[in-house]
Amino acid sequence: MKPYQSSCRAVFCLVFLLPLLSSAQDRRQPDNFVKENFDKQEVYIPMRDGKRLYTVIYTPKDHDHPYPFLMERTPYSAGPYGDTLYRRSLGPNKDLLHEKYIFVYQDVRGRYMSEGEFQEMTPHKEGKKTKQETDESSDTWDTVDWLLKNIKNNNGRVGLWGISYPGFYASASLPDAHPAIKAVSPQAPVTDEFIGDDANHNGAFFLLDNFDFDNFFDVPRPAPVKSYGHNIFRADMKGDAYQFFLNLGPLKNTNNPEYFNNQGKIWNEYLGNSTYDDYWKARNIRTHLKNIRPAILVVGGWFDAEDMFGSLRTYAAIEHQSPKNDNHILMGPWTHGAWGGATWNKFGPLDFGQNVNDHYHDIETRFFNFYLKDKDTLSLPEATVFETGTNQWKTYSTWPPAEARPLEFFLKPNGKLSTEGKTALTRHPKDSLKEGFYDEYVSDPANPVPYIDGSHAGRDNQYIITDQRFAAKRADVLVYASDFLTEDLTVTGRLKADIFMSSSGTDADLVVKLIDVLPGNEEGITVTKETAGYQRLVRAEVFRCKFRNSFEEPEPLIPGRVTEVAFDLNEIAHTFKKGHRLMVQIQSSWFPLVDRNPQTFVNIPTCTEADFQKANIRIYHDGGHLSKITLPVLQ
Amino acid sequence: MRKLLFSLLFSAVILTGYSQGTSQDSAWIRENYYKIEKYIPMRDGVKLFTSIYIPKDTTEKHPILMTRTPYSCAPYGADKWKNFYTSYLRYYLREGYIMVTQDVRGRWMSEGQFVDVRPFDKDKKSNTEIDEASDTYDAIDWLVKNLPANNGRVGVFGISYPGFYSTMAAASGHPALKAVSPQAPVTDWFMGDDFHHNGAFYQMDGWAFYSSFGKPRPAPTTVGPSNFEYSTKDNYKWYLETGALKNILKLTGDSIAFWKELYQHPNLDAWWKARNARVAMYDVKPAMLVVGGLFDAEDCYGAWNLFKAIRSQSPSTNSHLVMGPWFHGQWASLDGTHLGNVQFGSNTSFWYENNIEIPFFDYYLKGKGTDPSLPTATIFFSGENKWHKFQQWPPAEKQDQPIYLQPNGGLSWEAPAKSNNTNPFTEYISDPAHPVPYTEDVHFHRTREYMTDDQRFASRRPDVLSFQTPVLQEDLTLAGPVIADLKVSLSSTDADFVVKLIDVFPDDFTYNPSKEAPATGRGREIQAGYPMGGYQMLVHGEIMRGRFRESFEKPTAFQPGKVETVKFAVPDVAHTFKKGHRLMIQIQSSWFPLVDRNPQKFVDIYTADDSDFIKETIKVYHDSEHPSKIILPVLK
Repeated sequence: MKPYQSSCRAVFCLVFLLPLLSSAQDRRQPDNFVKENFDKQEVYIPMRDGKRLYTVIYTPKDHDHPYPFLMERTPYSAGPYGDTLYRRSLGPNKDLLHEKYIFVYQDVRGRYMSEGEFQEMTPHKEGKKTKQETDESSDTWDTVDWLLKNIKNNNGRVGLWGISYPGFYASASLPDAHPAIKAVSPQAPVTDEFIGDDANHNGAFFLLDNFDFDNFFDVPRPAPVKSYGHNIFRADMKGDAYQFFLNLGPLKNTNNPEYFNNQGKIWNEYLGNSTYDDYWKARNIRTHLKNIRPAILVVGGWFDAEDMFGSLRTYAAIEHQSPKNDNHILMGPWTHGAWGGATWNKFGPLDFGQNVNDHYHDIETRFFNFYLKDKDTLSLPEATVFETGTNQWKTYSTWPPAEARPLEFFLKPNGKLSTEGKTALTRHPKDSLKEGFYDEYVSDPANPVPYIDGSHAGRDNQYIITDQRFAAKRADVLVYASDFLTEDLTVTGRLKADIFMSSSGTDADLVVKLIDVLPGNEEGITVTKETAGYQRLVRAEVFRCKFRNSFEEPEPLIPGRVTEVAFDLNEIAHTFKKGHRLMVQIQSSWFPLVDRNPQTFVNIPTCTEADFQKANIRIYHDGGHLSKITLPVLQ
Repeated sequence: MRKLLFSLLFSAVILTGYSQGTSQDSAWIRENYYKIEKYIPMRDGVKLFTSIYIPKDTTEKHPILMTRTPYSCAPYGADKWKNFYTSYLRYYLREGYIMVTQDVRGRWMSEGQFVDVRPFDKDKKSNTEIDEASDTYDAIDWLVKNLPANNGRVGVFGISYPGFYSTMAAASGHPALKAVSPQAPVTDWFMGDDFHHNGAFYQMDGWAFYSSFGKPRPAPTTVGPSNFEYSTKDNYKWYLETGALKNILKLTGDSIAFWKELYQHPNLDAWWKARNARVAMYDVKPAMLVVGGLFDAEDCYGAWNLFKAIRSQSPSTNSHLVMGPWFHGQWASLDGTHLGNVQFGSNTSFWYENNIEIPFFDYYLKGKGTDPSLPTATIFFSGENKWHKFQQWPPAEKQDQPIYLQPNGGLSWEAPAKSNNTNPFTEYISDPAHPVPYTEDVHFHRTREYMTDDQRFASRRPDVLSFQTPVLQEDLTLAGPVIADLKVSLSSTDADFVVKLIDVFPDDFTYNPSKEAPATGRGREIQAGYPMGGYQMLVHGEIMRGRFRESFEKPTAFQPGKVETVKFAVPDVAHTFKKGHRLMIQIQSSWFPLVDRNPQKFVDIYTADDSDFIKETIKVYHDSEHPSKIILPVLK
């Protein structure tokens, strides 16, 4: 399968509708396999409040045995609709198609052919008292209850899966789950859109993705439809999203008549909730992942630009809040949803030396077979992760591995990165700040640092792994590199950035990037340009500094005052090989992936062009302010 | 000029595409020609190695077409033949030209001492006083007197360094020399060709060339110099880590005499002036056809300015100019359809070869055809993608029209209003530790394509200022030199100024593949799918080392904080900004590693230490008192 890139449209259509399309791409599958082997029926299943959800059910023609249900609930259509049209494939992978499940696809409340009102990331309601109070948990319960009672030849067990937004519906089924639900696989589940998924990371707005996604997803639907028709507006970014968004100006201009024009309900909710307020908190499903009973397999991708956070943190939330749960995580070298396709050998310059999806599909198939059919054996480790750098599957009994030890790498003068924390440059409290104690750059919102080199019509997925040399050439990107490693360094777990900074302005973004600098040609990496010095991005994250003390109550930076900004970067499982160097880059924009911080303390969705100001950003590395990044290292 | 040219042009470009039928042509040439190798004696007794391909046909007399080269007349050995049949040059063989290639004095198999761009001596007094003109004279004299069945007419042509030797041939005054075509002629290594532009050092081309080409050759040889071994194939990294120019010199010590010598001539002194080929262009006798590429990264200056020198210094000479949309030497290749991402709509090289160069030599050397009565200038206009003919260059109809920088990235025909004075300048920090790359990608060899590259990567940097017009309501055609007239102030005492003239394509721009990218070329395979909407096409860029703003002979320091004028010429352009496009000017203070970094301190750059390189703040003014402007040669 080809990596999903090219246009923005492709990003969202392909990625969010992936279960549909990836199956269609499995060319080994005869076109009429589904039709020949399954009966299709379409039903409206009534919910407790009387609203009916449109549901498409594919039942094996073979009635010899009772079968379990395997269901995906989706906002992207349960279609194709009608007696004559069948899905090209069914289920999460090609092996499961042959395992004889009753496959169920349901339009979630308020989307496509289902009745009711759609809500972005439907808030979960604890202690529902009346039949009028519904959420995704209750809708799933009511659906399961109906299926068990009305679909013949079922074995009384239900599994759920979903990738991305459907991953959220898988997660949302878990609190107070119907007892027939035995196995659930949230895959790249949208989980917390303020802190780490899709819409925002640490309060920084993911402009490029949101703008395009909501244009497609946020089309009003007054009544059930088989198709939403066209998007809210036509925004052809041609070849250059960077220039498009720079020309667009402040966020509020997205509601200009030629764009959202206040037609996007979700868009206005996003813009209207610029802190971690009740709107976002109600949409953080993690809070409710308590007392979870079904077996769980959380799946995610190390190169998932959308919901990597959701995968990692859904697993963590269940692990901490439902410690007795049969909970597993599986992370591979995938972009968003790439595990759904038949093959995944390569991504951009990276060659994994194997079809990683074969191994994964085997595990996924066994997982559902075991819990839903009592078939196969399952000795599923707590964590199964693909280690990049060495291209190996690894398993761990805890995630992140408890045996990992923190290793601090300190930013040093002259672009050095070192495990040696002490510094000759210890600032006496009475000293004025001197050069040598910090590095400085001018962050200019008129010339933000691109998130990738080249010009692209939409988000290019490869930004998450690609060469950062283009950025290192800029004066507004600080670069710190270690000596050549004298032995392999395997980092497995969550990264912590602890940066002492100051700004001449009252707000700023910090982007911290962890990079593996290659010494030369290397197996598994194919680039046409010089490989020696290739700066392979391993992990990056953005933090909007106004939220350094609280996501709920943002605070301005005090100009010139040294301020500690500490935040986590998503886990990695990566070996920096002997002879490589570790590199950290710091910058204050990542455009247009992330909207520009005006660098003045204002409400960004309502601010004006005049609020955007250049700022002098300083990153400190003196004795009193040891900026560092902490890596969990496995011996 | 460069070795690179030699390998790229003659192997890669010409060799491609003609694999079919080559054996047939090769066999034809073998059947109809024979090759001899001769040492031709010069007046001082030094003998120059010359390889000569002569038609077997004796039913008529044949003209002689000669190239004199420092790049070798290889292959050596009478039984080893040049691959004429893979290039358009085979036409000349079909027409029975005697093809001569000569190793210039001191190179390869020729005797004597090589002198780089050997100064022309117009007052040679004795047989021991020689120059390239006298060597050419002696070679021609020997050829017409000794070769069988020659018709007594000689032509000389050559590209790049051989273009310089063509210029010198024209100055020889030998009566048998009837037609000369200096092509991308190396002309002035301080002002605009190869080594320097306006005194700024083109370190990457210079070093790539001279680290090998400049090695001593103690005795005649058929073996060329070895190449320098770089520690990385990332040129930005190599030059940045190597640092100050003195560190490059350390890599060679004294072994490369010219490299060391040029470090001693940081300014336009008598040494450089003697190496300006234009001083030889008086009373030029043969018909002249100067050829060059609008997008030639090496000797674009030489082509334009050699021609201008001939017109002004030798007005009665029958002289002509052809400029096409080409990289260095592309006119002699099989594919002139595109350069990088920019398409030219037809195979311009093929057209030139068959409509200009071949008829030119045929007429003057063979008397074939009618007087081509070439117009003075045959110029291709990129953008419009059409050839135009002019009786003079720049065209008489051209009118200089200033366009003014404005606050907030504007560019306007109106001089700055007083209201601009509240926002009198735009500033940037130029940091020698992070110089602006001259092209976006990581690579090793200086690309040819940077001359038409998309400049969006540069616009995104805070240390690059961009000023652009509104969308043009009608076509805007420029024909001639562009003059940058900047009002600037520095926080330090020196800076470089790069001015780039850019054509911003409309957001919905795409090439029509059947029309603009003809299948004859390789154009459609290259960079397929490159996003052309909003493309910022470099039309031409030029650098000025600020210290030379008042005089190239006597550099002067800037006074920090004082507004000063930096005025310089961007080489001629011939380009149409189409309706719907925009004209953009970018200003930056580095162009790396193409050009060495200015330390931004008024020190001798060739001896400066790494510690001399400092950041500085540069302000470019656009108020009514200090209107920065670009003077455009507008052709109505």
